[in-house]
Amino acid sequence: MPDTARILPFRARPVAAAYSREEAAAKAAAYIATPANQRTLASLDEVLADGDVLMALIARLWEIINTSPASVADEASQVHKWVTSREPRHFFFDERDYFLGESALLAGASLRLLGKREETERWLDRSDAAFRHTVAPAAHLARVSYTRLALRYDQHRHEELVELTPSVSLTFKKLGMVIDYAKCEFLQAMSLKQLGRLDESATLLEGLATGRHADAGLTGMVLVNLGDLRADQGQLDKATLAYAQASPLLQQAKRYAALADLKMMLGGMLQRTGQLTAAIEALRESVKDHLDLGMETRAAYVRLVVAGALLEAQRPREAEWEILAAMPTLDEQKMATEAAGALALLRASVQQRKTDPKALLRLRECLQGNN
Amino acid sequence: MEISDDLDATPSAEDVFEHEVEKVFQETLGLIHIALVTHYQLSEQEATELEKDLFVWFRRFCYRPGASVRENRPYLLVACCQFAREYQKYVVGTGVRESDEKLRSILDREPADVAHDFSRSLQLFDFRRSDA
Repeated sequence: MPDTARILPFRARPVAAAYSREEAAAKAAAYIATPANQRTLASLDEVLADGDVLMALIARLWEIINTSPASVADEASQVHKWVTSREPRHFFFDERDYFLGESALLAGASLRLLGKREETERWLDRSDAAFRHTVAPAAHLARVSYTRLALRYDQHRHEELVELTPSVSLTFKKLGMVIDYAKCEFLQAMSLKQLGRLDESATLLEGLATGRHADAGLTGMVLVNLGDLRADQGQLDKATLAYAQASPLLQQAKRYAALADLKMMLGGMLQRTGQLTAAIEALRESVKDHLDLGMETRAAYVRLVVAGALLEAQRPREAEWEILAAMPTLDEQKMATEAAGALALLRASVQQRKTDPKALLRLRECLQGNN
Repeated sequence: MEISDDLDATPSAEDVFEHEVEKVFQETLGLIHIALVTHYQLSEQEATELEKDLFVWFRRFCYRPGASVRENRPYLLVACCQFAREYQKYVVGTGVRESDEKLRSILDREPADVAHDFSRSLQLFDFRRSDA
């Protein structure tokens, strides 16, 4: 070894500022509360360059993904862009890959909620590519797989989902990830429901409603869908009870998208029992709530449900308005040939001011799996 | 005389978690130190600095979704070997330190394989502890 001293620039990582968890969470919350146009480059570096604050920021974004998917999508892509621009030596060990994977998964999951499916796939590919280089990738890759399964659900690919979900479920079970495991089971139950395997679906949903996962939001979602299933089976008392149990849980968990869905399902049940005015009111509230959450694709679908109820109530003009309001969003969607055909038929009938209820129903059926 | 009620205070779940992280790290530290100094031939001072980095990483690693703190211990050893290898390769590569056959041999091996060997020592340690 040489006698002369020499400074080694190897460890260029800044030493962690050693924030407590509370301090890191407060910094992350302050960052999110600052409008993007008021953030300086220096403030961005100060927050994102600290691993503890970045962890807290990601945790916070996961907490609000169901209530503010649009802002989470923006924030997550910004974090991803920032981490991409930094070299691995600025991070501890595998943390660059971890933060890239986590921010891409956040962006993908939030864009899925917003109905932007192609972008979702691209972000999930990015997440997958980054997580693969982390120290213990199994849990994270399973989380990416779960989001891919949820995307398949959105695309009405239920047979594939029923085949592939058990493997992902098993990974979560082996790793003791109770909530992720329950989410997989829920997805499986939802696909079984779509495939008409109602008894199997109900068994899974009832198990989840009384399960040990202790996630109020998930239990609320389970109850909403159990209620919907019971309504389909004509068991309206059981359906009403499930909806009533779901509502406070969803409020508690701030699952506003699921609450908007609850209104849609309640509207559907009221329509089935001939209470059309109340049904239309509940469905319109659902449209408004979805729009407030930035979920335009879902809102467009619910508008078609409203239109159906309006036609049944002999209010064809209002039905036309709802359909016309949904058209721009529906036009943006990449639809299967069948759905595109139904949409064209519906558009033609509305232009002639003779809304075709069959075309409306066909389009709704085609879109139902996507929604 | 006032009597403190501290004894009644139940630690939060987060405190328990942090305590578990520190406990597991401390339990593994002896093995980490041997790996860094004896096998990867770092000086005592270099090893101490690297151990500080390892703790910062391990604490955050345990907050990631997935396994429990104790189940994460083998990954701590993988990180230890990866850190040490990266550092020694840099130091040897810049000509500041000379390499011998033993060091070359360990730097040629994949850190995960080296860590796997160390993990066996951990398993032996756990076995002895449960036996006791």
